[in-house]
Amino acid sequence: MKNIIETKKLCKTFSNGGIQQHVLKNIDLEIYEGDFTIIMGASGAGKSTLLYSLSGMDKPTLGSVSFDGTEITKMNTDELALFRRSNCGFVFQQVYLVDSMSVLDNLMAAGLLVYRDKKMLVKKAGELLKAVSIEEPLWNKFPTQISGGEAQRVGIARALINEPKLVFADEPTGALNSQTGKAVLDTLTKFNEKGQSIVMVTHDITSARRGNRILYVKDGEIAGECNLGKYVTGDKERHQKLNDFLAKMGW
Amino acid sequence: MNKVLLLAKSNLRKNRGTSVGLFLLMMIATCLVGISLLIFFDCYPTAQKAAERLKGGDGFILIRDDLEGFTDEKIEELIGKDTDQYYVYRNLNYPTLSLPFGDGEVGISLNLTDSSAFTREMNFFEIVKEDTSITENYVYLPYQFNTSGGYEIGDIYEFENAGKKYSYKVRGFNDVVYGGGNNTGRYEFVLDDASYKKVWDEEHETGECIVIIYDLKDGVESGAFRIRISNEMLKVNPNTVMDGSPLDVVISNRTFIGLIVAVSILVLTSLIVIAVAMMLANCISNYVNENMKTLGALKAIGYTGKDIKLSLIVWFLALAVIASITGIILSYVFMPIFAGIMIGQMGLSYNISFNLMATLIPIAFVIVFALIVTVLSARKIGKIHPIVALKEGVESHNFKKNHVALDKTSLNPTMSLAMKTFFGNMKQNVITFFVVGFMVFACIIALLMFENFSRNPKVEILTTELCAGVVASDLESKDEIRDYLESRKDVENVREIINLSLYYNEEESLFTYIVKDPSKMRNSSICYKGRLPEYDNEVVISGSFAKKYGYDIGDEIKLDYGDNSFNYLITGLIQTTNNAGREALLTYKAADHLLDIDQIPGWFWFDIANESSDNDANIEETEKILEECKDKYGAHVINTMDFFKIIGGSMTTFKSISAMMLIVMIVVSVVVIGLILFLLIKSLIYHKRKDYGIYKALGYTSGSLMLQTALSFMPPVIVSIIVFSIGSYFSANPYMSTFMHAFGLMKCSFDIPVAGVVLIGIGLAIVSFVLALLQTRRIKKIEAYNMLVAE
Repeated sequence: MKNIIETKKLCKTFSNGGIQQHVLKNIDLEIYEGDFTIIMGASGAGKSTLLYSLSGMDKPTLGSVSFDGTEITKMNTDELALFRRSNCGFVFQQVYLVDSMSVLDNLMAAGLLVYRDKKMLVKKAGELLKAVSIEEPLWNKFPTQISGGEAQRVGIARALINEPKLVFADEPTGALNSQTGKAVLDTLTKFNEKGQSIVMVTHDITSARRGNRILYVKDGEIAGECNLGKYVTGDKERHQKLNDFLAKMGW
Repeated sequence: MNKVLLLAKSNLRKNRGTSVGLFLLMMIATCLVGISLLIFFDCYPTAQKAAERLKGGDGFILIRDDLEGFTDEKIEELIGKDTDQYYVYRNLNYPTLSLPFGDGEVGISLNLTDSSAFTREMNFFEIVKEDTSITENYVYLPYQFNTSGGYEIGDIYEFENAGKKYSYKVRGFNDVVYGGGNNTGRYEFVLDDASYKKVWDEEHETGECIVIIYDLKDGVESGAFRIRISNEMLKVNPNTVMDGSPLDVVISNRTFIGLIVAVSILVLTSLIVIAVAMMLANCISNYVNENMKTLGALKAIGYTGKDIKLSLIVWFLALAVIASITGIILSYVFMPIFAGIMIGQMGLSYNISFNLMATLIPIAFVIVFALIVTVLSARKIGKIHPIVALKEGVESHNFKKNHVALDKTSLNPTMSLAMKTFFGNMKQNVITFFVVGFMVFACIIALLMFENFSRNPKVEILTTELCAGVVASDLESKDEIRDYLESRKDVENVREIINLSLYYNEEESLFTYIVKDPSKMRNSSICYKGRLPEYDNEVVISGSFAKKYGYDIGDEIKLDYGDNSFNYLITGLIQTTNNAGREALLTYKAADHLLDIDQIPGWFWFDIANESSDNDANIEETEKILEECKDKYGAHVINTMDFFKIIGGSMTTFKSISAMMLIVMIVVSVVVIGLILFLLIKSLIYHKRKDYGIYKALGYTSGSLMLQTALSFMPPVIVSIIVFSIGSYFSANPYMSTFMHAFGLMKCSFDIPVAGVVLIGIGLAIVSFVLALLQTRRIKKIEAYNMLVAE
């Protein structure tokens, strides 16, 4: 299987008032194309730090991250921004849509960074919004005028507008109730089934079940890994396997 | 109170950038108000104090031409009864002379005197600086020759009169009340005793004059006194000419430019003060929005709205107090530059001293102003409910319209996002619009002053009539010289104009232009209301004089000369900055009612046929005509004047002032626009920091975000520049007329160069964009990761 991301001796240290905290410690990791990779771990284990280091949003203290063969750790801030445009899509827990833009404009603002053909882009944004079940009357609403679940699905559509090689999702259901959370997970699963590679951080088992590969982060290291295989609704054996893995990890 | 101070201190610490920006704006405003008030309060009193110190009395009278009959006893008889004291001295007088000064010459009346000038009992000379190693053939020049004229000790000063050359080494410069400033129309030079004796021996028969400095008794009215003396002197000797001025006219002539500068700075400052008010209100509103949660928490733990408001008042008052004190200190620091202008124009040494009023008024003004704006703007804090505030619910989003929909606009992403920011920040747009607009207006006023006082001097400000040159002939050759000038192909529009003083109601003297044919006058803008006189019963008078005595067109005014009086019909109003705004103009035929015009020497004003835009060429051409006229008629030519040369000299003080005003206004405008943009952009970035984090996460570079933010400020800047440039172009003259009324200009028609306005507009737009771009650098510091995880 082709890897998209490869890290070597990835370290991240935060300094605060002279006290150093080693959040990531010498992580060697590969993320594969087409996978729905889940990063799990307890609070403060370094899950989000790992996610943002992999995506080039944050710079590691030591080590390297190669994305599709290109070492992104050597890039400066602007080069990283240019890199993220077409390679990465992000789905955040707090959604982070631009409040002063309509739903459609939020997608357009991201899409215009890559595409010049506005007509094509509008069509594509429409298709994506429909795909995440956001129907046309909502397109011209502002983020504060739609529900949290709808906003998160718009966030997913925005993450996908530039057909990124990898979508990074940081606890996308963390702020949602179970029903709307499920809709969001269904959306992500649907796109993964179409071949979209996804890396998602979560501490929710229900969400983690959607992945085919589970990485468990503990004290800044990858403490274990579990391959669940393709997601099938209601596959109890698969669920049990995940539960056993997490129990082994001390979850 | 401790808790309020604690809050105020916390606010100050947390909002350092805002505090610094507001501090600087208030400091600039106080500094400029301070400077203008220092000039305002000091300019006139400085001249008054100098007059007191140098014992200038209440005025002076100069008697010349024919002094027969003016014995000491006769003078005592004429002057003694109305004066507490008077002092008489005799020296040499040249009534009309062109003296080298600055970039050209000044047309002036010159007195030459000896070292007794330093020890006179009244109107004595005071040395400002000198070099006593220069011991012979020297001259002491009025201080203005040093401050504006460009002369230094040791220079050779040369001038010419009736073909005779005078050349002296400059030994020093002096202060003197009468004879010290070109705006007073009179200079007095002190020669070394030997040189003076030589000139006296050669010229006293034609040039001797009597100068009387007088100090009037209480209750004696200056105008009436001078009219009485004039009439009685003519009775003593009808061939004598009386000249001179009351002290107030001399002081007003010596100080009016300083007052113009003070008023201009004050007007500019008032615009800055409005900008400060807008920013102060904006900062408080931003403070409330940015600190909603904190305000909610404070209210929740028991702070009252009053406590919070009080802490804001303490914060902004502390800023206002420190800024205004610093500003007023700076006004004293910068004052020497402005004092230089005053010295240049007044020709008097000037020591900057502490002025209580000029110090306290700006401080009190800024503090009270900050207090009022803060109290008014902070009112909404009282209405904030803690729970709502904790949920940040006060600032509700109410998007009625999606401006610049990205799917529909034809703009590129940077421009379209810039336009979105622009439409989403109307408060910022309004502030930018007005601040930039005020600064455009201030710069255009400065440009107007520079254009009309310096680059392309509007000589009409200084003189009622314009020409290329003047030839004065004696009675004998009057007709011959007129014919000669009219016959020359290089001479055009020869006109006869005589100046003398008429009197009004035994109170005021009116400097009068007696014009043979007013239709030939070149200064078409002189008569700003009505028309020039045509018939023998008509007169035009200056607007400020008319206003003072309640006259208007159609009224009759009685004018006197000697024992003769005549009632004239006022057909128009003229404007002038000279002679304290007391001027009149009538025809030869009209003047015949008061005096025998045929017995007055001929004064021929003429233009040159090939006048060009090159002043040097015009000077050369006029000089040639004047020289040839003098060569041909010798002593029959009693005086000549090259107006182009005089323009250069007379405008010297105006030039330096207007150039400096332009620089000051442009610098202040750039600084104010920079500070306002700093405060607005800082606040905008703070408000949109989350959006910038999102944009960066999506892949927008810092450069593109900076560019779109800076561009979002450009629509109000550009619209403001266009609107205010057009508005200022049409309103600058009425505006100037409003505050130039006091100086005699009733209806200004100054030129405003369109190219200059366009240049200022483009310059300010570029500077605004560059400043905005520089201020947006803080976007670079926003990191997507930190911003997102911080939420």
